[in-house]
Amino acid sequence: MTDKTDNFEALMKLSLNGDQRAYADLLRETSRFLKPFLAKRLSFTNEVEDLLQEILISIHKARHTYDGNRPYKPWVYAIAKFRLQDYLRAHYSDQLRHAIELSEVEESLSEHVTETAISYESISGEVQKLPEKQATILQLMHQEGYTAKEVAEKMGMNESAVKVAAHRAYKILRNKLER
Amino acid sequence: MGNTEELIAKLAQDTEAVKPAPHPYVLSLKWMGWAVAYLLLSLMFSGLRPDLMLKLHETWFVAEIAALVCIFVATSLSAALLSFPDMHQMPRLAFAPIITFALFLLVMLLAWQADNPPAPLPIHSFECTISITLFSLLPAAWTFYAMRKFASTHYHWAGSIALLFAFSVGALWLRLHEINDSVMHVVEWHYLPMIAFGIVGWWLGKKILKW
Repeated sequence: MTDKTDNFEALMKLSLNGDQRAYADLLRETSRFLKPFLAKRLSFTNEVEDLLQEILISIHKARHTYDGNRPYKPWVYAIAKFRLQDYLRAHYSDQLRHAIELSEVEESLSEHVTETAISYESISGEVQKLPEKQATILQLMHQEGYTAKEVAEKMGMNESAVKVAAHRAYKILRNKLER
Repeated sequence: MGNTEELIAKLAQDTEAVKPAPHPYVLSLKWMGWAVAYLLLSLMFSGLRPDLMLKLHETWFVAEIAALVCIFVATSLSAALLSFPDMHQMPRLAFAPIITFALFLLVMLLAWQADNPPAPLPIHSFECTISITLFSLLPAAWTFYAMRKFASTHYHWAGSIALLFAFSVGALWLRLHEINDSVMHVVEWHYLPMIAFGIVGWWLGKKILKW
């Protein structure tokens, strides 16, 4: 890395003149300071990496809107925030689309797994393959006999969230067993 | 998605010399230049109102035109700034139309109070809104076309301001062309539809300026 990296504005000016090395240095440095910014706002590492790449592509597309005569970081952060908001909007609207009505969950929870022909033990192998949280919830509810409320207290969740997670787990298990 | 380092290498490989976008002031002047040329040309064909010289001696008519010109200048500058992701780091200037609209509102309020006894209402009504809308279509289209070449991160605002800029050109044209002294009519059929234009622009901004 050269001394040039200390000066983003100069690097960008070189990049706008077609200097490929300066441009690579600039993007590398940019991703270095954007990563913690994104990590603070997103939960998963792969999300951070995906969004970072989207931001880098946006910087590339919009580079003609920067002239090198004003601070570089506010320009980059404006693009980063714009992409982050877009991402979060899409993410939450997707979550809402897949949200489950609580009444639907209550119905399926009224039938106890232990009262059906399938015992918990016979499907415990499949349960272990579920996401960790779902597996723990099913184990507590159906192997150790806790109620949804007790599981919620034990896991520091609210009761509805436990019911929704259990419902999702049942759906996955049902699909697997029906195959 | 693949590795970030690979992406950086690819983007760097693809890069070539790029001409930076003009300063927003230059951009705004260019857009205003086109709009003024269009306005003058249209007035040459449609004709100026015959009593214009007389009207230019009336305080509230001059104030109204001056406030409209302020909106025209402020929206043009704001549209240019909003075309840049960081508003060229002049966010306050980008929201200058708010002040000019407040000023315009005040002028119209005072003009309405001064209109005593009120000037007779013209026979026509919504035709004025339609005329302004049709007249504004061309400036609206070229403003959106020009803004699409940039990278707005406030596309809703940018869309609204672009349409208000176009509408101000139309409103100026009609005020300088039509013989009409009724403040009530002007407010109702010339200026209130601006709100609808702003809302349509908000929606169009997302459709056209999102990148």
